[in-house]
Amino acid sequence: MTPSPGPLTALRRHRALTRIWASDPGWKGWFTTVNHTDLGRMFIVASMVFFAAGGLLAMLIRAQLASPRSAFMGPETYAQVFTMHGTIMMFLFAIPLIEGIAIYLLPKMLGSRDLAFPRLTAYGFWCYALGGSMLIVSLLLGIAPDSGWFMYPPLSSSAFSPGPNSDFWLLGITFVEISAMAAAVEITVTILRYRAPGMSLARMPVFAWYMLVVAVMILTGFPPLILGSVLLELERAFGLPFFRPEAGGDALLWQHLFWLFGHPEVYIIFLPAAGIISTILPVLSRTTLLGYAWVVAAAIALGVLSFGLWVHHMFTTGIPHMGLAFFSAASTLVAVPTGVQIFAWIGTLWKGEPQLRLPMLWILAFFVTFVIGGLTGVMVAVVPFDWQVHDTHFIVAHLHYVLIGGFVFPMLAALYYWMPHLTGRRRFFRLGETAFWLVTLGFHLTFLAVHWVGLLGQRRRIHTYDGGDGWEVINLIASIGGFVSAIGFALILLDVAVNAAVAVRGPRNPWGAGTLEWAMPMPPAPITSPPCRRSAAATPSMTTPRCPFASLAAKAIWAIPRATGAKR
Amino acid sequence: MFAGASAILVLVMVLLWLAFRRGPAVRKGGPAAEERDERIWIKGLGLAFPLATLAALTAYGLVVGERLLPRPGPDVVTVGAEGRQWAWTFTYADAPGRATGGHPATSPAGRPVDVAITSADVIQSFWVPRLAGKLDAVPGHVNILRIEAWEPGDYAGLGAEFNGPGYAGHRFTVRAHDAAGWEAFLAEETP
Amino acid sequence: MTDILRLALPLTTWLAAFSAVYGLHGLVCSPRWAQAGLGPETGRPVLLLAAGLAIGLQIALLLALRRSRLAAPSPLIRRITTMLAVSALVATVWTLTPVTATTTCH
Ligand code: HEM
Repeated sequence: MTPSPGPLTALRRHRALTRIWASDPGWKGWFTTVNHTDLGRMFIVASMVFFAAGGLLAMLIRAQLASPRSAFMGPETYAQVFTMHGTIMMFLFAIPLIEGIAIYLLPKMLGSRDLAFPRLTAYGFWCYALGGSMLIVSLLLGIAPDSGWFMYPPLSSSAFSPGPNSDFWLLGITFVEISAMAAAVEITVTILRYRAPGMSLARMPVFAWYMLVVAVMILTGFPPLILGSVLLELERAFGLPFFRPEAGGDALLWQHLFWLFGHPEVYIIFLPAAGIISTILPVLSRTTLLGYAWVVAAAIALGVLSFGLWVHHMFTTGIPHMGLAFFSAASTLVAVPTGVQIFAWIGTLWKGEPQLRLPMLWILAFFVTFVIGGLTGVMVAVVPFDWQVHDTHFIVAHLHYVLIGGFVFPMLAALYYWMPHLTGRRRFFRLGETAFWLVTLGFHLTFLAVHWVGLLGQRRRIHTYDGGDGWEVINLIASIGGFVSAIGFALILLDVAVNAAVAVRGPRNPWGAGTLEWAMPMPPAPITSPPCRRSAAATPSMTTPRCPFASLAAKAIWAIPRATGAKR
Repeated sequence: MFAGASAILVLVMVLLWLAFRRGPAVRKGGPAAEERDERIWIKGLGLAFPLATLAALTAYGLVVGERLLPRPGPDVVTVGAEGRQWAWTFTYADAPGRATGGHPATSPAGRPVDVAITSADVIQSFWVPRLAGKLDAVPGHVNILRIEAWEPGDYAGLGAEFNGPGYAGHRFTVRAHDAAGWEAFLAEETP
Repeated sequence: MTDILRLALPLTTWLAAFSAVYGLHGLVCSPRWAQAGLGPETGRPVLLLAAGLAIGLQIALLLALRRSRLAAPSPLIRRITTMLAVSALVATVWTLTPVTATTTCH
């Protein structure tokens, strides 16, 4: 860039920087862009596409299980369908969606121009796109992975899965994990080094705290799985004996490596959702978050504690009782920081004047659903109970209550909350409320029925069952509920599309929020330009001399910690 | 457990409902109110309440778990169970050389039985819902499950870990004999 | 950055101690333990000793982080540090209690 003549006014600097940071025009821009706004959107849209694919598979599952006579898939196909449903939802939908939201929002919230390493963001996205499309291609060709989403060897090793199915999983998911690692590096460095001047750790928006915890968890939790995948792929490709007992390996090694990743993964999915609730709920209650310090402490505690309970997925593998006792105790303990957060949120509602806007409706749906899921979770942490219900549909119901209640519902709240930011428009058509009721009622109908049939002993992952055990009616109810909620999800998509395309322009900061992302034009420019930048350096430095903005910030913008900070 | 869980659920719902019903409260803000709110909501409901309930629950689980442990006893019978893709083979310590293929597995009623579970190929899980919880069969490991049938009769058993296309039909039966029947079974000629 | 260290240290220590005790438990129950000439009855005292060490370490950390020389400058971070150090202590006691009572190797 040649420096423009004349004094560098704020506006001129903004234009000059925009020229550098904006994506190339036309289709080429999609492939060459490195700015966080566009890449964030691309992550979000791609994860939605995978959500649709995973949802389609869920509908196939429910159609198959609706009655013993409606089975239209053989066991081989069904195995591919449920494996891919789980894999897509966990790896290709949930994690990338979080990354997308963080990539889009964090620089804006922290008042930084972009993320620390913009090219790394792009690299992450393309790794994700490559790995994800590998899996989709395998599904279309009918050679998708089929050993369940946790891929236990020896079932997934070459002796029992000779086809290329498992290889698609091992390679594809490894790419997706590399992408997650890239995003996590990015997020950690950005939060720690690139906050706006004046924003100390103690003044950071609570969402950034949550994302910091999540990013560090990804950095610690994903390497075991990458290692496991590499070992298993080596075993499959070159006959190395890592998981084969007859050659001195041990099948349980995979389970340890997988769950060392897999349990933190559940909290990696939940914590950003909790961060979003901690951000949105106070705004919609016209107050500040109750117990900011407690909530931050709870998030950190949850992040670390979740690494100490991987063995609770292996309660039935014959581990000595004292070993089980350690992990049973640790599993019940993680419920405590979760409880702290839940009650901090309810207390916030009591403290303020909650308004029943659409994002708030989704947050309420979260409360009800997630609390049920948490309670059944505490039940399965009790070892003797787990011995009975492990691997039945009770577990399927529990995990959907936690994942849909604890992740999908808060994400929908986030969608409706940040929609005006993404599109610059006000929501006009009110399809969202109808969709809300369809999704929540349909969901509870489905999975309450699934709990019940699980207690009656229906195993998960069976492609069909015999009539006569009283399971038919329950399964039929579950399937009907599943279709109702699918219609609801389709309606949400329609709502978003219609409102994004034709609704009227809205005002800035429609919710009266206190975080920085609302202090910029909407829809956002390619770079974030906090009003106090002095130099045209692409990233702010922590040594930037005090600017008027910093004192403004200390007064008003990050009001949350200030309000509670008074008494200390 | 279900009653307790329902009670907690109802509590949360009522608190949420009240939050919206109370209407704009006349409350004074400030550090004192904040302090009080933190004490009630976070220290009380968020910390103390779950800690107490969970401590009780964990202890209960561990005590029950201890009771279910396979401890050596004078009349314990040992049966071996080897899973393979879509079948089980049972062997009997009291009748060396005997093996019943598939089903039924045979056991005495009224006596504790230790099932020594292992697998010949992939990971399986041994589950007789009416007799005990499930335990995995892992190749290269032998896991011991204590089961005890009070009444003679047939008990349905299932494989309970996905193990490939034949999973839905991976079943067996445990046949519990009375003392005489068990002796007769052991005395049968080895085929 | 030191603030991050202050926040992370106690719970990370819990994680390390917890994993170490679990590993030690595996060792105590392995055939090697008996081969080394140690009877099964030595297992529990060793585990108890390890648990005691872990708890002691947590108490030391808690006290150290409250000392004004090591405490964080910002009151908010100081408060969060204390909360986390206390929760790490509670977690250590809570998750290692089973060594006192449950059966060791079955
Ligand atoms: C309304 C939407 C959904 C429906 C109706 C649904 C339905 C199901 C059913 C019936 C199963 C059990 C298959 C079996 O074991 O035979 C299943 C498995 C699973 N689902 Fe969903 N699901 C939905 C959404 C989700 C979402 C949003 C996630 C994650 C974020 C998810 C994650 C999983 C996982 C991890 C499994 C286990 C797969 C395995 O056994 O390997 N599902 N789903």
